[in-house]
Amino acid sequence: MPLFPFFLRYFRRKKNEDTLHFKNIKRIDTLKVITSPAIIFVLLLFVWMLTVYFYNALPAFIREGLEVYFRNTWQAAEEASKEYYGLAAPIWGTIYTSIIAILIALPISIADSVFVVDYAPKKVKNFFIIISDMMAGLPTIIYGIWGAFVLVPFLQKYVMMPLYKHLSFIPIFSSPPITGYSYFSAGILLGIMVTPFASAIIREAYQMVPFTYREATLSLGLTRYEATKILLGYIKPAIFSGAILAFGRAVGETVAVSLVIGNTFNLSIGLFAPGYTISSLIANQFGNAFIYKHMLPALYAGGLALFIIGLIVNVVGLYLLKRWQKNVEI
Amino acid sequence: MSKYAIETKNLKIYYADNEIIKGINLKIPENTIFALMGPSGCGKSTLLRAFNRLLELNKDARIEGEVLIFGKNIYADDVNPISIRREIGMVFQYPNPFPHLAIYDNVAIGLKLNHLVRNKEEMDKRVRWALEKSSLWDEVKDRLREYPASLSGGQKQRLVIARALALKPKILLMDEPTANIDPLGTKNIEKLLFELKRDYTIILVTHEPAQAARISDYVGFLYLGKLIEVGLTKDIFEKPKSELTEKYVTGVLV
Amino acid sequence: MSRYKTRKGKEVVFLVAMAILTFVGILPLFHIIVTVFTEGLPVIAERGFTFLTGTLSNGGIGPAIAGTFILMFLSSLIGLPVALLVGIYAYEYPNSLIGRWTKTLLQIMLEFPTILVGVFVMNIVAIPMGTYSGFAGAFALAVILMPYVAVYTQEAMRQIPFTYREASFGLGLSRIKIISRILVPLSKRGILTGVLIGMAKVAGETAPLLFTVGGLYQSYPTSITKPIGAIPLLIYTLIQSPSNADHAMAWGASLVLLLIFLLIFIPVRASLKEVRL
Repeated sequence: MPLFPFFLRYFRRKKNEDTLHFKNIKRIDTLKVITSPAIIFVLLLFVWMLTVYFYNALPAFIREGLEVYFRNTWQAAEEASKEYYGLAAPIWGTIYTSIIAILIALPISIADSVFVVDYAPKKVKNFFIIISDMMAGLPTIIYGIWGAFVLVPFLQKYVMMPLYKHLSFIPIFSSPPITGYSYFSAGILLGIMVTPFASAIIREAYQMVPFTYREATLSLGLTRYEATKILLGYIKPAIFSGAILAFGRAVGETVAVSLVIGNTFNLSIGLFAPGYTISSLIANQFGNAFIYKHMLPALYAGGLALFIIGLIVNVVGLYLLKRWQKNVEI
Repeated sequence: MSKYAIETKNLKIYYADNEIIKGINLKIPENTIFALMGPSGCGKSTLLRAFNRLLELNKDARIEGEVLIFGKNIYADDVNPISIRREIGMVFQYPNPFPHLAIYDNVAIGLKLNHLVRNKEEMDKRVRWALEKSSLWDEVKDRLREYPASLSGGQKQRLVIARALALKPKILLMDEPTANIDPLGTKNIEKLLFELKRDYTIILVTHEPAQAARISDYVGFLYLGKLIEVGLTKDIFEKPKSELTEKYVTGVLV
Repeated sequence: MSRYKTRKGKEVVFLVAMAILTFVGILPLFHIIVTVFTEGLPVIAERGFTFLTGTLSNGGIGPAIAGTFILMFLSSLIGLPVALLVGIYAYEYPNSLIGRWTKTLLQIMLEFPTILVGVFVMNIVAIPMGTYSGFAGAFALAVILMPYVAVYTQEAMRQIPFTYREASFGLGLSRIKIISRILVPLSKRGILTGVLIGMAKVAGETAPLLFTVGGLYQSYPTSITKPIGAIPLLIYTLIQSPSNADHAMAWGASLVLLLIFLLIFIPVRASLKEVRL
């Protein structure tokens, strides 16, 4: 019997699986042969993507070193030697706005989950789930236009102005909300956008709490508040994963954010100051980056950072979620 | 020498490291109903699935020993399990006609995908034959294009039998075929098995000793992976040799 | 007794807070939908059919609508076959090393920043071709569509009771026939849901198109190797313009996009228990 060449080994059926006789290569798993090109394509695509970002960012690392991530200068110049690009401001903006988003999304999605699972009658429950699904799927540009034309003016007039007027001695309220386009607006809009994703994860987890625990908490004579607190404690890891994954979504969101953040290189703790995020920087600057000699690699370096943040956040979030789900199943 | 339909030689089955079937030697003659009975969890369904190599769907399962179907070892290296399954029909505990296929197509699917008939006419004939054989034809002949959801549990199970018969197998494996069927449906199926015995060898797994007594010619009593006793149904129920068997058939051991 | 009162008090505060938060959570969606209708409807009503068919200088978004549908079709054409095969693989070999990798990768791709896909495709398609094109945009969207369809395919097939799988194998069929002729048709509803959800997603995406399609609003697209427009991208461009007329246009286009989204989403949601986006 001819031995398998090494590169065909993979397609060999495992012992105890079904066979189809295929000329002289016996026992080949046809299904694997047919599906594998797609798998290879997808896996390669991912690796290829990482390579493209790394390769194109390389000149920036060579020229500026890792400082490209830590310096807050963005200096485009016709004379190549005067160019300098540091991504500190957009990185800060990305993290800052995403944290605001999570601070908004978390309480809402927890309340929503408790309400939907514990209190809502079946019809209302379905209604809420449909709304949540719809919010998750709504085109982001629609959030963007609403954010730019409705949310920002509203926030500027009724939230930022009063806070600035009365509480500007607190550092985070200290920047004047001149246009309203700011970290704050972006954070709020992102919060609205990622709430349904956090909700879906937390709701599912809350639903998975075994019924006996519910019974047990109530049989102890606890009030509903106390019972809910205990049950939420039980799903704490899932809430954490929900927050991480929602953070990942917020980090990657592009067009809606770029319409409300003000697109200014700024590194400020002031909530009402305009800023940048990595994705809105790419959206805004990529088109004209070709004019300059060194800008493009810096943008790719930003993309690489986004890539890696996205990868880590998602892998960690998914891993924790899976681990928790496994624990519950037992 | 008369050939046996199924013969096992020191058959052992493991799930991961657990020995589920502990060395079984069994001979099942042609054109009989052989009932494999025992309490639930004794390994009867597992043993049954070794006869058509369906056990291999479970990645943890491992088999030692031999299973001979009409004298041929189906676990030999050059045997294709697909052709084995084609020759052995199977009926399951849960009546499982494909819900997305019409009644007609449920019977036709095996023939169609195995390219066993040449044209529509032949297919019609074979489908009708199988449905008649499973005494379902009169009940469904006017609604062959409907979906099996409209059938009763007993009818569904007879449709599954028709699906298996369409491939003209020599052996029928039945894994507690009446476990999920109402009493009337059960009666119909038992009657059907009696008729089918003339042309087929039927291996019937059951956890009801009464059913084994009603319809089988031979009985094997399986307990904790071991074959405690095999013999003519009459002998087993009237004068069991083993105390365990006696306890089981009298309902003391569950 | 007073201790009980504070406990009860806390409970009331908790219930009220929860109700308010839940309400606040869904409020934006209603406000968005109402605003898009009140702002967009007058624009469409005023220009009538021209808005849907005319070019941008005639006050219409016809080319953008055409572009969006072409992109949806093309991206499905590229993405669906790959997605189906990947989904089938993930279902059939869930515990193999590559199967596990694939499943994780699909989950990551679902959550991945879409702008990165856009820049990547620009790099590997638009730059070598020397032009923005409908093909480049469709390719980027296909990368985004793929994980949705694959995950739904895998999930739908995983929910098929084992007994049907056993029954198919029991008929003496080869694995490939069992999958393609019995199990895939058996789960077609779930798979179709995935396809529609992926398409709804693709119809609304903007970021992956920024550097791939180029935009074309003064004439209808004629070739997939030339620049093409899309509704979300047009809205993005119009919002950034200083002119009020452009903003009105953007609202009108938003309404069209919202309707396309609802047209896909509502039937899917109506026929299904839970959707994951």
